[in-house]
Amino acid sequence: MDVLPDESEREIADQARAFLSSASPTALVRACESGDKYSPELWKQIVQLGWLDTCLPEDQDGLGLPLQYLTLLFEEAGRHLAPVPLLSVMVPLLVLAKYGAAAHAGVLRNVRDGDLLLSFAFQEADGAWSPDSIRMTARREGDALVLNGAKMFVDNFALSDCCLVAFRLEGQSGLTLALVDTSAPNISHVDLVPTAKDSEALVRFKDVRVPLTDIVGEIGKADQAVQEAMDLASLFCAAQLAGAARRATEMAVDYAKIRYAFEQPIGAFQAIQHLCADMQIGVDGAQLLCREASWKLAQGHDARVEISQAKSFANEKCVMACRSAQQIHGGLGFMMEFDLQLWYRRVVSWSLRYGTTSEHRRRIADHLLGHNGKVRLDGYATA
Amino acid sequence: MDFEFSKDEDELRREVRNFIRTNLTPEVTQQLIVERDTGQRGPLAQAFFAKIYDAGYFAVSWPKEHGGRGMNAMAQFIVEDEFYRATDMRVGAVGSGAPAILECGTEEQIKTYIPAVIGREIVFAQGYTEPGCGADLAGIRCRAAREGDTYVINGQKIYVTEAHIATHMFLMVRTDPASKRHAGLSILLVPMTTPGITVRPLWTIQNDPEAPLGTTYGIRQVNEVFFENATVPASSLLGAEGDGWSVASRGLNLDRVGAFRYLISIMRDEDIVSWLNTDARGHERRADPVVRDKVAELWTEGQVCRLMTMRSLSIVERGGDFAYEGAAEKVWAPEHGVRATEAISQILGPYAQLLSSSTGAVESGVFAHNLLGAFQSTVNHGSVHVMRDQIARRGLGLPRPGRAK
Repeated sequence: MDVLPDESEREIADQARAFLSSASPTALVRACESGDKYSPELWKQIVQLGWLDTCLPEDQDGLGLPLQYLTLLFEEAGRHLAPVPLLSVMVPLLVLAKYGAAAHAGVLRNVRDGDLLLSFAFQEADGAWSPDSIRMTARREGDALVLNGAKMFVDNFALSDCCLVAFRLEGQSGLTLALVDTSAPNISHVDLVPTAKDSEALVRFKDVRVPLTDIVGEIGKADQAVQEAMDLASLFCAAQLAGAARRATEMAVDYAKIRYAFEQPIGAFQAIQHLCADMQIGVDGAQLLCREASWKLAQGHDARVEISQAKSFANEKCVMACRSAQQIHGGLGFMMEFDLQLWYRRVVSWSLRYGTTSEHRRRIADHLLGHNGKVRLDGYATA
Repeated sequence: MDFEFSKDEDELRREVRNFIRTNLTPEVTQQLIVERDTGQRGPLAQAFFAKIYDAGYFAVSWPKEHGGRGMNAMAQFIVEDEFYRATDMRVGAVGSGAPAILECGTEEQIKTYIPAVIGREIVFAQGYTEPGCGADLAGIRCRAAREGDTYVINGQKIYVTEAHIATHMFLMVRTDPASKRHAGLSILLVPMTTPGITVRPLWTIQNDPEAPLGTTYGIRQVNEVFFENATVPASSLLGAEGDGWSVASRGLNLDRVGAFRYLISIMRDEDIVSWLNTDARGHERRADPVVRDKVAELWTEGQVCRLMTMRSLSIVERGGDFAYEGAAEKVWAPEHGVRATEAISQILGPYAQLLSSSTGAVESGVFAHNLLGAFQSTVNHGSVHVMRDQIARRGLGLPRPGRAK
C-alpha cells in the first residue's frame, strides 16, 4: 500500500504539467471557445508526445502502461483546461483497441497519427447515463444496418470523423456498437451551448446506412463494451474535475494572499482560510478516489463502485471548490475578462456529464444494498 | 501507486484475526470492560495481554530491541484495525507518550518505560488540557519548580481521560514561570501514586445510562487532576527543560491519524449498511431511494476517510513529514463521523433517540449513544478548527490572522 504516485508516475505527470503550462495558456482556451472549439496544433503536439499510446497494449504498438497513468494525464488536461478532445478520443480508442476487429486497425492508426478524431454517442434525450437507457434502433438491410433515432450530449461530434454509436438492432435485446462515419448521409447535428462552451451536440440519425464492417464487436453483444466505455468516460472526467478544481483552489489561495480588505490580506481571515482548507480537502478526496479507481481497473479488478465514488464525489466537491474560488474572488469571478470563470464554467458542465451524482450513487447503493450480509468499508470480510 | 495491502500485510491480518478468534473469549471481553471502567485487571485479561505481548502486537512497528517486531506503520495499522474492531479498545496500540519517550528519552527512561508500556504495566494518562487552555496549549499554567534534584508541581489538569486507571501521567508543565506561550514548557513523567496528586471524576453524558460497547466516544468518565506540591525527581524530565512543546508534538501527530481515528469515523457507515442488509426493518427502509442515495454518499465519504488515512501512512512509510495531510484527515474523518451518525439517526427514525436502558433501543442503544459521542472526535487532539488553521497556514501558505500588514 502506497497511495502516492511513484517516481515514474510523478515524472509523467510533471512532464504533462510542464508541457501544458506553456502549450495551453488561457489565451488559447479562450480562442478555441469562440472559434473552432479545439486547437489542432495542441492536439498534434499531444499526439506526438504519445499520450494516445500510453495505455494501449504493447502488442498493438502502445506503451502498455497501467491506467493510472492516463488518470494523471487527465488530471493535468483538466488543470490546464486543455482545449483538445482528449476524452472523446481516448474512450472509443480504448474500446476499439479491446473490442475492434482487424478492419478497425486503419482507423486506430490514423487516430494515433493525429489524422482522425473520434467521438462517442451513448446518451439520448432523457439525459440518463446508463446502457439501459439506450433506445436508438437499427434494422438490417443487406450488408448494412440502418440507424434511426437521436443522440444527446455528444461531445466533440462536430469535430470528429468517426463516432462510436450504441443502439439496439431490431430483434436483439443487447446493444450493438458501430463506428459511424460522421459525414455519412442523413446524419445531422445541432450544436448545444453548454456552460463549458465547448463542442457538444444533439445528433439525429434518419435512415443512416452503416456497413456491417463498421460494427465493433458482435451484434447484440456490446453491453459490456458500452458499460466499460461509459465507466472510462466517468473516470477520466472525474480526473479532469479534480485537476481543474485543484488549479482553481490554487488561484483562490494566491488571490487571498494579495487582496487586501480591512487592512489585511483576506487570506488572513479564518473565514477564508477555513473555506480554502475545505476546498483542498474536497479536491484531495476526489483525486484519491480517481487514482484508486484507475489503479483497481489497471489491476483487472471490478472498479464500477470505485468509479462511481470518484465521479459522484468529484461532481460535488469540485464544483464546491470552483464556486468557492469564484466567491473568494468577489466580483472578479463573475467577469468574462478574468480567467477564473473558464474553470468554473467547465467544471459545472463536467459535473453533469458522464453521470450525475445521484446516478452514480444509485449504482453504489445497488452494490451495497443488494445482499443480506454485513460489510466492511475496506472490502475485507467481516470477522 | 499501490492501493492494496501486500501479501505479507494480508498474512499479518489473517494472523491477528486468528489470534483474536482463539484468545478473545467472552469472559476476557468482560474483564476488559471492567478494566476500562475501573482500572482493575482480572486474571483472564492479564493472560490475554501477556499473549498479545508475546506475539509482539503492542508495538509491531517498533524496533526489535525495544520489544517491537520491527515492522512498518502499515503493519501497526492492521494490528490496531483488527483489535479495535474486535474489542472496541485500543489494545493493539501502545498509548500516547511512548512514541515521544522512544524519540526523546534518555537510555535510562527508555529502559524503564518502554518495555513496561508495551507490557501494559505502565499506562500513561495525557495531561495537557487545563481549565484555562485547550487547543492553545501555549496557555498552560500548571507549574513545576526545580528545587534541588526535584520538581515540585502545582496546578490543575482537566478532561484527563485515563487518569483513574493510569499508572503515570505524561504531564505538560511550565518550568519557567517568566516564559510566555510555547517557550518554557516541559514534559514530566509522573507516577500517579506521587503524594499531592488528587484525581476527581468528571462524569460524561455517556454515563447514565452507560454507553454500550462499540459507541463512538462511549467513555463514561474523564477526570480532573489536582497537583499540590507533588514532588518528583528531576530525572522525570523528558527531553530538555523548556523543550516540552516539541517533545509533545511528536506524540500528538500520531494521535490524530491512524487506525483509531479512522475506525471511529467509518464504523457508522458499516453499521448502517449492515443494519439495512440484515434487519427486518432495515429491509423495508433500504427500498427508499432517499435512503439509498444518502447511504451511498456516506459510504463514499467513508472511503475518503480510508484513503486519507492511507495517504498519511504512505507519507510516514516514505519517511516524509506532513505538510497538512494529517490535519486534513483530522478534519475530514471526524466531521464525516458526525454527518454519518446524524444521517443514520434520521434513517432509523425515532428509535435512534433511545438510550441503552430504554425499551425499544436499537442494538443496545448504540445509535443514540453515538449521537452523544460522535462530535467528541472533532474536539479532542486538536479541534477541527485548529486543524483547518494548520491546513490553511502550513499547507496553503496563508498568513496568520491579524499579523500581516
